Order: sequence, then structure tokens, then C-alpha cells
Amino acid sequence: MQFGCDPKSDSTNTLRGGTYIPTVLDTLREKTKVNAHEVVYEGFNGIYCVEAGGPSPGVGCAGRGIITAVQLFKQQNIFEELDLDVILYDVLGDVVCGGFAVPIREGIAQHVFTVSSADFMSIYASNNLFKGISGYSRSGGALLGGVIANSINQPYSKEIVDDFVKRTDTQVVEYIPRSVTVTQSELQGKTVIESAPGSAQADIYRSLAKKIAAHTESKVPTPLEISDLREWAGQWGKHLLELERSGSVAETLVKV
Amino acid sequence: MTQHPSMKSESISRARYGCAVGAMQSAVAIPGTMPIADCGPGCADKQYASLAFYNGFQGSGYGGGASHPSINTTEKEVVFGGNDRLRELIQASTKVLKADLFVVTTGCISDIVGDDVASVVGEFQRRNVSVVYAETGGFMGNNFIGHEVVVKAVIDQYVGDFSGEKEQGLVNIWTELPYQNTFWRGDLAEIKRVLEGIGLKVNILFGHGSGGVEEWKTIPKAQFNIVIHTWLGLSVAEHLSEKYGQPFLHFPTIPIGSIATGNFLRDVGKYAKIDSKKVESFIESEERDYYKYMEEFSEFFSEYFFGVPSKFAVVTDSAYALAITKFAVNQLGLIPVKVILTENPPEEHRESIREQFRSIADGVSIEAEFIEDGFVIEEEIRNSDRKPAILFGTTWDRDIAKEVGAGVVEVSFPASYEVVLSRSYVGYRGALSLIEKIFTVTIGASA
Repeated sequence: MQFGCDPKSDSTNTLRGGTYIPTVLDTLREKTKVNAHEVVYEGFNGIYCVEAGGPSPGVGCAGRGIITAVQLFKQQNIFEELDLDVILYDVLGDVVCGGFAVPIREGIAQHVFTVSSADFMSIYASNNLFKGISGYSRSGGALLGGVIANSINQPYSKEIVDDFVKRTDTQVVEYIPRSVTVTQSELQGKTVIESAPGSAQADIYRSLAKKIAAHTESKVPTPLEISDLREWAGQWGKHLLELERSGSVAETLVKV
Repeated sequence: MTQHPSMKSESISRARYGCAVGAMQSAVAIPGTMPIADCGPGCADKQYASLAFYNGFQGSGYGGGASHPSINTTEKEVVFGGNDRLRELIQASTKVLKADLFVVTTGCISDIVGDDVASVVGEFQRRNVSVVYAETGGFMGNNFIGHEVVVKAVIDQYVGDFSGEKEQGLVNIWTELPYQNTFWRGDLAEIKRVLEGIGLKVNILFGHGSGGVEEWKTIPKAQFNIVIHTWLGLSVAEHLSEKYGQPFLHFPTIPIGSIATGNFLRDVGKYAKIDSKKVESFIESEERDYYKYMEEFSEFFSEYFFGVPSKFAVVTDSAYALAITKFAVNQLGLIPVKVILTENPPEEHRESIREQFRSIADGVSIEAEFIEDGFVIEEEIRNSDRKPAILFGTTWDRDIAKEVGAGVVEVSFPASYEVVLSRSYVGYRGALSLIEKIFTVTIGASA
């Protein structure tokens, strides 16, 4: 089951041929009592799709919406009833409030994987997530399985993410390059696995899936303090400037 | 400076105030005005029950208690926002309930979620519906803070701009916090009476002596504002000074008894340029009555000297504490041994409040302490070297009073062993009631 935890409600879109499904909160808005089965939709390859949903942009409390949606499923024992192999909570990129941290609290998810590129903003958000994970680890929350390094096309991008995971005591689970196959698949309303199963990109996702399926031991990360993170970023900035001066970055860019 | 133990605790036992949304009671206190509670059902009920019921059993009034509408926030309004529900509620309320003015008071939920209450209320205001909103989420502070938010909301959104002439002799009064102060109805009536006595026209603004929103509309016309409180109302007066160019007079001490009230009236009269003969004539006539009673009371006071207390403690908000302390010292000759101020006044006013207590009378000075926690208050009194014979406080201070052998005069929220209608403890007449109460408690102890 893929459970989208984002008010934009687009997590399962490519599993359903580009169509949007009614969300848990849309349904709750209409009636006070909702049977969770009403908001579970079957998508590609038998994957159950759920979207928590949320209020219109700019109003209400999306975080509380996530709590409400997840609790509804827990109360009705849907996860047990459907006999699921894996439940994947797809949470938006930061623990902005308690609501978005619900999937990492005790008794919900077992492992957390964060998706991060080598861009500083993305690393910063991951470090923030690590703080959340570290905090909840003291009360039985999910631990960190590792980082899924995204948009890794440059050697230095890989080095940056590698250095970050080393400093925060975690690991990279898979390196995902940026690929036009993904864009093409998305535009068709499909996942890469469905639209281009024989592509190199699909192989990378399958490799990632196997690693996650086999993953058992997660850890408490050691997030960097904000000043240390800034200093670290500054050092990488200088290093990239040197690479650019030596021409190695420009060469790589031409190749891409 | 060492930190008081109460500052170290993260919780407060028996807080002696409501939260900011308790200021819905300030709307109730304006005759003909009705709050619309934009909060959970428990919030509105708890504030009403504690401030207006189990505090002198003051009652709901026209627009309070169970009478006024509430959005009764549920999870639906949290997740999707409460704008639609609020719009529906204002629409329905203005249709089925009769009020001169509705005041939407928001609670924590609405303020945290970020409901756009201003725009919803604005829709009605543009259609000339008499409704204003005040953001009074509990996390903003207590009901003292919420009161000023409500007052400014009514001034800015309902009274509005003014460019006419000022009316000589018209004054606006900003004093005790309605409902929080158990005796506010009687006190405001007495303040209005004595000021009218020297020839002023008084906008008392709250309570039975107020003309409701019609009176509020004349606020901008007033010659000046009078703040009679240690700090509450000062920001309102400053706001009015900017908005309407009105000066203000500040009296930190609410006058109790003939000396304080006479001096208060002389100062006001001088500022308002009232003929001093008129002021003195009123004071004289009031003092004639006042001292007739005092003369008769003096027999009890001298005969019962063995049972008359000499030392007292005060545990209440800073304004009432200062007023009572000055009266007890200057008119009754009692000695203050402990002054604990409980309403958590803003930091910027604390030093001036302390200073007031350092000059109660010639040779009488006391260091006031700011403590909100009921447990710490008890500890302070228990561990004090000088035990009071009389304690001006609340129902919650009865246990410690019993322990140290003091009689209790309930003067503050919560006063759950007092039934209060029009009783006042300020001015001339209120002072006589306060004397009656103090010595009834004292003599009653030997029953």
C-alpha cells in the first residue's frame, strides 16, 4: 500500500494512470463517519493507493489532517485486514509540525528513508528530518534506514551526499540519477516500472526496492547542528569552486 | 536578583485568572453586546463558569453564559479551517439573536490553524452588520490581555474614526476588569457616581451604568480618558491618544475611603478645570455621610480592640491589592506583612507597581511579590515570619488562612464563598462595605 501524506494528494497519481483518487479527508468532509475501505483504491500491479488529502491551500491545518487520516486507518485495522506486504507512507519533505511526523511515531512505520539530492536545501531538509527522527527515537519512533540519493548525475553530487551521510551516521541506500524516462512516464501518468520496465532507470528502482525489502536494521541518525551544517556547506562550496576553476565540473556538464 | 521559585515551575496551580478568550466576558459586560465564541465548547463554558459563576455568582447577564452562540469547534474545523462555519454562525446569530453588537472572540484553535476571521467578519461589516472580531487565543495571555484586545477591537472596528468636536466634561473610564473583579459592577457604579458628583459626564462603558454601544460611540468625543488601574487600560488610553488625540490621566490606585477618594476627585477636577468649590462641596457632602458611619463604627473599633487585627496580607491582582493596602494602612491603621500580586502583569509595568508598594504611607513600605502559583503562594505565607491576622484573597487561600489563623476577606477571583450583587469596595460607599466585611469576618471568628 502506498499512503500519500501530503495535502497535494499526488503521491499515488502515477499508480492510477494519472487519475486522482478521493482522499480520506475529502470523504470525511462530506460525512462524519468513513469506512476506510471507501478510500482505498487499487492501482498498478495490485498496489493499494490511499491519499490522506487535506484542506485547500492556505486554510485549516494539514498536519492535523494527516493525523486524522492515519488514525482512521489504525482504528479500523485496515493494515491487518488487507494483509499487506509493505506499507509505504510518502510524506512531504519536512517535519514542519507534529502532524507530518505522525508516520515516524511509535507504532506506525518501522523504517524511514529520506529522499535527498545534493542541493543544500535538500540536505538541510534531510538534516531537519533527522532531528525529528532522533527526537522520536526516544519514544519508540521509527529509525532511519538511510538516504535515497536523488538526481545524482555528477560525481561531486555523489560525494556531497556520501559526505553528509558519513557525518550524520547513516548510509546511502541507492543513487538515483535524474532521467528523462521519469519525466516521460510521469507525463503518461505512469510509474517508470509500468511504462518502461526494461529501462536502466527501472533497474535502479528495482534494485532500491530489493534493498529496502531486505533492510532490517535502522539507526538513530546524528543530525548536524545548524552552525556545523553551514560550515560543512561552506567547505563544499569552496571545493566546488576549485573544481570549476580546474575545469572538471564544466567538462562533466558538457558530457551531460 | 534571585529567581522566585514560582518562575522555575512549568505548571501553575490554581491560577487566579482566565485565559485571553475569557475576555468574551468583557463583551458581555457592555450592555446589549453579545460575544460569538469562536472556540471549543469547553473553552467558552469554562471561562463563563469560572469568571462569572463561581466568582461571586455574578450570572450570565443578557449575552453571556449559555445565551451566546459558539462555533463549538470540532476536528472538521481544525483540518479544513473554520471560516465557513463562522460565516454560517454569524449569519444565523444575527438573524435569530437580538444584540446591538456581536463580538467574535477567537480561541486557540482558530488562531493556531490561522482562520481568516478578519475577512469573514469583514464581509458582514461591509454589509453594516454590527460585528467585530478580537483575536483572543489563550496562548496570547490571560483575560487581562484579552480584555484590551476586545476593547481595541470595538474601538477600531465599531466606533471608528472621528473628526468632530470634543465635549467638555465628558470622560472615559478604564478601570477594573469586568467579571474577573468580583465587585466590578458595584465599583464601576460608585466610580461613576462620584465623578458625576463633581460635575463630569461619565462614560463608564461596562456594567449596568453604561449606555452600551451608544455610549461607546461617544468615546472619541470625550475630553480625556481616566485610567484607574496599576496597568490595565494604559495601552487602551495610549491607543486613544493616538487615534483621537485624547490625553489621559493615570491613577494607579483605585480610591477606597474618604482620603483617597477625596484626593482622586480633587486631581480629576483640577485636570478637567472644574470649579474647585463644586468639587469641595461634593467631597464635603460625601464625607459628612461617610464620617457619620465611621463615628458610630468607632465604638466597635475601640471597644473590640482585643479582637481587631493589626497585620494583614493581600493576595490578589495588583490594582485591588494596591487599593486595599493603601486603605487598610491609611484609614484603618493596619500593617501589611505580605503582598502577593497574582495577575501576571506585563514585565514593563512591574517595577512601577513595586514602586507603588514601596510608598504606601510615611514609613510604611512593602516589597510586593509577583506570584501566580497557588502552591507557591501558600508556601510564601506559611514560611513568612510575620503571619497575618486578616488575609485579603480568594477562596483558594482559605486553607492557608486557616492554617496560620487568619480571617479571610474574599476580594478576588475566585470568590466562591461570596454572593455579590451590587456590593462595592471602592469610593466612599464601597469603603464602608469593605469595613463591614473586614470586621464581620474578624468578629465572626469568635462565634
